[in-house]
Amino acid sequence: MRTKQEYLIRYKDGNLYCELADIWIDPSKPVKKALITHAHFDHFTFGCEEYISTKETAILLKERVGDNIKIKTFEYGEEFKINGINISFHPSGHILGSSQIRFIFAEEKWLISGDFKLQKDQTCKQYEIVKTDYLISECTFGLPIFKWDESNKIANDISKWIANAPEKTSLLFCYSLGKAQRLLNEISQTNFKGKIYSHGSIHKMNKSYRELGIDIKDTIKIEDKKKIDELKGSLILLPPSLSKDSYLKNFKNIQTAFASGWMSIRALRKRSGYDKGFAISDHADWDGILEVVKKSEAKNVFFHHGDSEALSKYLVEKESINVLLFGK
Amino acid sequence: MSLKKFSELFGDLDSINSTNNKIAVLKNYFLSNDPIDNAWAIYLLTGKSNKRFISGRYLKNLFSQIYEYPQWLIDICYLKVGDSAEVITLLLKNKTNSRKKKLSNISLNELLSETIPALSKLNEEEKNLEIKNLWERLPEENHLTFNKILTGTFRVGVSIGLITKSISKLINIEEEIISHRLMGDFKPSTDSYEFLINKNINIQELNSKPFPFLLANTIEDKIFKNSINDFQFEWKYDGIRMQLIKRSGNISLWTRGQELVNESFPELVEKMSHIKDDFVLDGELLVWNFKEQIAFDFSLLQKRINRKSPTKSIQIKYPIIFIAYDLLEINGRDIREIKLENRRIELEKYFSKWQIKTENNISDIFKICDLIFPKDWPDALTYKEKSRENNTEGLIIKKKNSTYSSGRKKGIWWKYKVDPMQLDAVLIYAKGGSGRRAGLYTDYSFALWKDKELIKFASAYSGLTNIEIKELDKWIRKNTIEKFGPVRSLKPEMVFEISFEKIQISKRHKSGIAVRFPRITKWRKDKKINDADSLENAYELMKKIS
Repeated sequence: MRTKQEYLIRYKDGNLYCELADIWIDPSKPVKKALITHAHFDHFTFGCEEYISTKETAILLKERVGDNIKIKTFEYGEEFKINGINISFHPSGHILGSSQIRFIFAEEKWLISGDFKLQKDQTCKQYEIVKTDYLISECTFGLPIFKWDESNKIANDISKWIANAPEKTSLLFCYSLGKAQRLLNEISQTNFKGKIYSHGSIHKMNKSYRELGIDIKDTIKIEDKKKIDELKGSLILLPPSLSKDSYLKNFKNIQTAFASGWMSIRALRKRSGYDKGFAISDHADWDGILEVVKKSEAKNVFFHHGDSEALSKYLVEKESINVLLFGK
Repeated sequence: MSLKKFSELFGDLDSINSTNNKIAVLKNYFLSNDPIDNAWAIYLLTGKSNKRFISGRYLKNLFSQIYEYPQWLIDICYLKVGDSAEVITLLLKNKTNSRKKKLSNISLNELLSETIPALSKLNEEEKNLEIKNLWERLPEENHLTFNKILTGTFRVGVSIGLITKSISKLINIEEEIISHRLMGDFKPSTDSYEFLINKNINIQELNSKPFPFLLANTIEDKIFKNSINDFQFEWKYDGIRMQLIKRSGNISLWTRGQELVNESFPELVEKMSHIKDDFVLDGELLVWNFKEQIAFDFSLLQKRINRKSPTKSIQIKYPIIFIAYDLLEINGRDIREIKLENRRIELEKYFSKWQIKTENNISDIFKICDLIFPKDWPDALTYKEKSRENNTEGLIIKKKNSTYSSGRKKGIWWKYKVDPMQLDAVLIYAKGGSGRRAGLYTDYSFALWKDKELIKFASAYSGLTNIEIKELDKWIRKNTIEKFGPVRSLKPEMVFEISFEKIQISKRHKSGIAVRFPRITKWRKDKKINDADSLENAYELMKKIS
């Protein structure tokens, strides 16, 4: 067995790092060279000399943080070389442009899953099974109590939720990049035919998605709406950061909901303070993680982003898969 | 009319925060379902049934056995979810697709009066098979309700008050009447539901049932502006609040938690049945120190509460007394609308009559509460301060001209509790909470200094705000020294002010002391662990009191 320092990719200062290529993956502090799996802010930091990502991720990032960053882009599946290491992006199904990153060096394959899901999502490319020797996987929802319903079922539940309160304005909180567009896409295929509004931060992302060729229903920017009384029976998409804000005082007679995987647990639903929770996630559920681990044919697995205690023990005991610890 | 509808009701109630909307949903449900299923719904929602057909542990074991699931994995999931029935429901998802005929429309009544009771007649193996069979046949959306019924954990934030309000709205009858009808035993049947929604009010049919209890509010400053003569003062006993009822010759003892407890206190039932009059008394049951004429500690009463048909020796070892503080009904006449000061006169009159006339001596088990007569408010304060000497918790202050209404009505009765005792202690352990607090560390243990060592002296889980809980949870995760199952030992760093009601010697605890009702009253971020109190401080506190 090799020591931690000898792994091609390891943890350094709380981030994934490949020493041989001197490149970081989704670093949380400025570095020279950073590979970016997707455009969510918890995977991005300002101040790196150079970023490398997929084309979609680059466009979304620039839309969010401005043009003032240097990004080199590659297509999915296109291999590029850094210090003799072959690197390529592969669809991870999390949001538009999101990717897994594969490293090949001296016939040894490493795969960083990035944030991923296996569920169908019409707003981004489906997860691609990539074979590897070493897998570094996220495990945000690494417990068997997490099992997602089909997203059209959730969309129908949302549509019913709005229809059952025709006198109210329904505020649905969701992440402004990815989740919001996926929900919009799904909800527009349900029986709900009322008006949909979205917050400026979401509206901006909708526009980028459309420009990248994704079919997203056109919504009205809520900031442009002057007469609050006319919002009865309509749906408004807002980012979760506004949920406890005085912002809500802008509306009358509301019902609120949060769309997140955590909402499958009653205690969390109750504690969240929203009236209702819809359990829909852009991360893999338990079965999803297990499927990826198996299909990747990895002999060695590392977990990060989540509590991996249960998952690790389960894989070792039930599947005889070698789960390794980084030691942070 | 079905488990399906009831599950929907449960889901709706669970996701509605406004009381008015909950009432509307309940009212609708009652209107559109069979009386018998309505009766069951009330029975379940109000927690009238705490019957547990199988334990949460059993349910988890059973799931583990049937689906070859490691027990440890279920336990980790439980820590996140905090409810056995819900964990199993989540784990069952997508596992029960079988070709068996679905029980999509089973009525609540059939499920609760036939299917589930039938389980207890089976041997373990048959029972397990039958539960698996039911899991496979019941639609997935109904699993949570079913599992919750099995494990007897049906608490969904629907209070009896809410049911009372919805029924009251439904038939347009005052809440008091409905609340009276809902008191005590409620047998889920068509009759009981029809009785509940009967628009004709009949006193006879309400016979053994207690009146809704009137509860005291915490003291408010504005009371001190009033004349002291407007109020009646009593000691606040720390026992079981109870209504002692004799109607048509039959005695019923009802606790405030609406339990009929005749069987636990047979000597009281026996003696009181010799009184010729019929009556309803409101009072307190205590274990009594007859030599000193004060109450014994509540812990002795606990030895009696859960014991049905106590032996003679238990009755002698823990002698009880019922102290009446109010008379609500006398010989069929409801006198709750009479002013308190006049009810008191009636109470005293009847009490002396009973003492003289009754052949059996009742004074060794029944008395009326002594009144206190403070000269002015500062004097009342002095009485309050002395309350620990006679083992009471403070004073109850009642408006003399008040009638006996129900609930925690404002501006009638107040409790003026003696200030709690306090010590500053160091947080040393934390444990995951359950229910709503699942996934957070919310059960804490605190320690005091003994020389250079921290000795655990109390556990508490109430008193912090939700924001503080979250903040502390974060800190706990970062400052864990060791994990033992759900418990973490922590770096001693955080000091909290702990308040409690009583402090006494205890051989069971390493600290040598036990405190009653410990709770967190302040997060002392201003204090370092060296500023925390020592066990010696605790002993001094104990000396000061006794």
